[in-house]
Amino acid sequence: MPYKIKEIELTKPLPDISLSPDETGMALIVRRNDKPVGFVIQQFPVKSLIYSEEIAQLIAKEIGSKLIQEYLQEEIKPIINLALFPSLTIAICTKDRPDNLARCLHSLKELLQQALELDVLVIDNAPSDDRTQKLVGSLPWVRYVREPKPGLDFARNKALQSAKGEFLAFLDDDVVVDRRWLTGLITAWQENPDAAAFTGLVLPYELETEAQILFEQRGGFRRGFQKIRYGQILPGNPLHPCGAGIFGAGCNMAFRREVLLKIGGFDEALDTGAPLPGGGDLDIFYRVIRAGYTLVYEPEYLVFHQHRREYEKLQRQYWSWGLGFMAFVIKAYQTDPPQRSKLRALIWWWVKYQLKQLRDSWRGNHVLPINMILAEMWGGIVGFFGEYPRSMKRIETIRRQFS
Amino acid sequence: MSNFAPWKILHIDLSEDIPELNLEPHYQGIYAVFWWRGIPLGDRQIFASQLPLPASALRNLAIEAITPAIGDRLLENGFKAPLPVVYPDPAWDKPPDLQALLALQQPLQQLQQTYAQPVNNSISIVICTRNRPEQLARCLRSLLNLSQPPQQIIVVDNAPQDETTRGIVAQIPQVQYILEPTPGLSRARNTGIRHATGEIIAFTDDDVEVHPDWCVRLQQAFINPQVLAVTGLMLPAELETEAQYIFHQGSGGSAWDYRAINYDRQFFANMQHRGVPVWRIGAGANMAFRRQAFELVGYFDERLGAGASGCSEDSEMWYRILAEGGICRYEPTSVVFHYHRRDITAFKSQAYQYMRGHVAALLIQFANYQHWGNLRRLCLTLPKYYVASILRSLKHGFAPRYSSVFTEILGCVSGIQFYLNNRKKPAWSIPVNNSQSPTQSNLQNSQLITSSIKPGN
Repeated sequence: MPYKIKEIELTKPLPDISLSPDETGMALIVRRNDKPVGFVIQQFPVKSLIYSEEIAQLIAKEIGSKLIQEYLQEEIKPIINLALFPSLTIAICTKDRPDNLARCLHSLKELLQQALELDVLVIDNAPSDDRTQKLVGSLPWVRYVREPKPGLDFARNKALQSAKGEFLAFLDDDVVVDRRWLTGLITAWQENPDAAAFTGLVLPYELETEAQILFEQRGGFRRGFQKIRYGQILPGNPLHPCGAGIFGAGCNMAFRREVLLKIGGFDEALDTGAPLPGGGDLDIFYRVIRAGYTLVYEPEYLVFHQHRREYEKLQRQYWSWGLGFMAFVIKAYQTDPPQRSKLRALIWWWVKYQLKQLRDSWRGNHVLPINMILAEMWGGIVGFFGEYPRSMKRIETIRRQFS
Repeated sequence: MSNFAPWKILHIDLSEDIPELNLEPHYQGIYAVFWWRGIPLGDRQIFASQLPLPASALRNLAIEAITPAIGDRLLENGFKAPLPVVYPDPAWDKPPDLQALLALQQPLQQLQQTYAQPVNNSISIVICTRNRPEQLARCLRSLLNLSQPPQQIIVVDNAPQDETTRGIVAQIPQVQYILEPTPGLSRARNTGIRHATGEIIAFTDDDVEVHPDWCVRLQQAFINPQVLAVTGLMLPAELETEAQYIFHQGSGGSAWDYRAINYDRQFFANMQHRGVPVWRIGAGANMAFRRQAFELVGYFDERLGAGASGCSEDSEMWYRILAEGGICRYEPTSVVFHYHRRDITAFKSQAYQYMRGHVAALLIQFANYQHWGNLRRLCLTLPKYYVASILRSLKHGFAPRYSSVFTEILGCVSGIQFYLNNRKKPAWSIPVNNSQSPTQSNLQNSQLITSSIKPGN
């Protein structure tokens, strides 16, 4: 079942790769001079021996353009930017997952030695015990803050209040950061000093179960290895900036703190845990752009995400994607009248897209089985019919409870 | 009243400091063309709402825009421009070889070296003009700036109303003046060919300015002996009016890409049954021919072109070259800057002339070779296209960019009429002072035959 994940360094000779008796495929993280430049995922029979020539072909197809761009980056006079990166707070919102959190913090610790004074903040969100607090207590370089109101966006807003840095980066507790993560963020900022938000690449941490492999085969959280600058328009995309989901993922994002404050922080009615577990990232990216700012996607700003291991949880994740997406669309429709025609077009696009997926899956041309697609569709339908107002009421209750 | 706002054209040499782009009042955006020391590599339209753009972000945008051209020039596979219609699917190109990719160190240096090779053929430049002395003067000034002087520059003054053009040319000793009293662009071009002495004969129009390396790049493109014709990149010199912008958009597409294309026998064979899209190969304002090409397939058809059918004398020539097994190469490093017509009425009359010439050329191509694809295009493809266009126009309430449909249809009808009236006329006049004996061709291509095309009938 599992896929082997292997790092390839292009400046060294390519290896032959042999799969063990239980491995049914492999994923390659391709780097050049340590910098991530490509990702390949492919199924293979068990016990395959994949020769370096075949690996070369697999890689060449994926990274041709990216590699040329790397050479050009080196050859075309860089813009010299002597300014130092502003102060940075890294916030990790967590709830009852100390093991995941410890792994995430461990990956950050390695970066700490690289330079910069980092302000690392853990937001313990409505914890059911003190394990997280104890863990953080044992790490002198991490600050501990508690947010009793349950809901990810309550926790994110708490981080916004408690942060000291000019920049604020968010990580989920189920990621580990790549060793180039900080370099990636600094690069993106130097290249786009005017940008207010940054998102990065998310690759799989492990591909051990069927659910994890399915999720990654369908594209996962990947947004490719091209730098993208999302401004007020996106040439070739008439639905921009409504085309949610293209900007990146909430498990790896960073903002200018003052911009977040100015636009009012995260919407606490989204990302509310079990009832509505999504949409908060879509909403904040959309609002950053609608407020006139630029958002930048940088592939070197990379984290590895541990996907849901269980099949049922993956199905639930697709459901929550549909739900969160539609909740966001309906909210934007209500709060941003000038964009309504685009949002209507987006809803139509979504319906057509889902029906097409359903047809492809029916015919066996889709990586996802029908039940996963139905889950996403059903989530969307529930989201369309009043999920956002329902969530508003729920969080009002929570607010009263904790005031 | 149209609410069109002009585009500012900005040429950015990536070997120099890259600027920060700022909002320019009354422009709707910046049309940025990226170069590396005289080699054009890509472009991007940057809308006003994307500005200001920091220099480093512009650098990233440029790198992305020029990647296909770099890959195409330096690698065998993976970055080929799709041939029009034949391979609309970019997947026809095989993926690149990883070892070749990894060996690409300093691609821009490598690229520059490949274009630094000296040329070993001579070139004559022919400019045909008619009563446009100011534009001609601008064009000639740019020709005097060429990085390597050509063997010869000829101005063919076509049925002029006065002596102004002669006077302008007389001021420039490097330029030779020839009078062609009979009107017609093809006729003027043929007169130019007869006076040309270079191994390569390049043509441009009076409404362009040429890039200093225009000629050298054309000459380099003829290194392969099977290449009989070369076309180049035509960039807009200005995009100040809506007509210019529509023209620019309409002439866009793969033909104006920054990757080279070889149109060869296989391209011709694949498309013959449905009408070979020879008009996609290039434009008369930026083209060149090996002298032997004219000996092999004949001169420009004088029934076609401005002053006669309207246009398509260039593409009909490429048709014959391809039909006889030669290669037409699109070489985008050879650049001219074209001043598109500024007003929309002139644009419409151009659309009329364009279709008139196109239809006449289809009929002439059929008459020359009995390739039924030409008739299929005339009788099936074009009617289908215009029915669809009219339906679309009805839907969009005849917006400016769809308004030329009826003009074009009239042009088509007139093209048929023109052909019927002129089918008996000779394709080109027999030269007076040219022996016309087939010179010993150094082309190894034995399939090239001269017999199937005869001047006139």
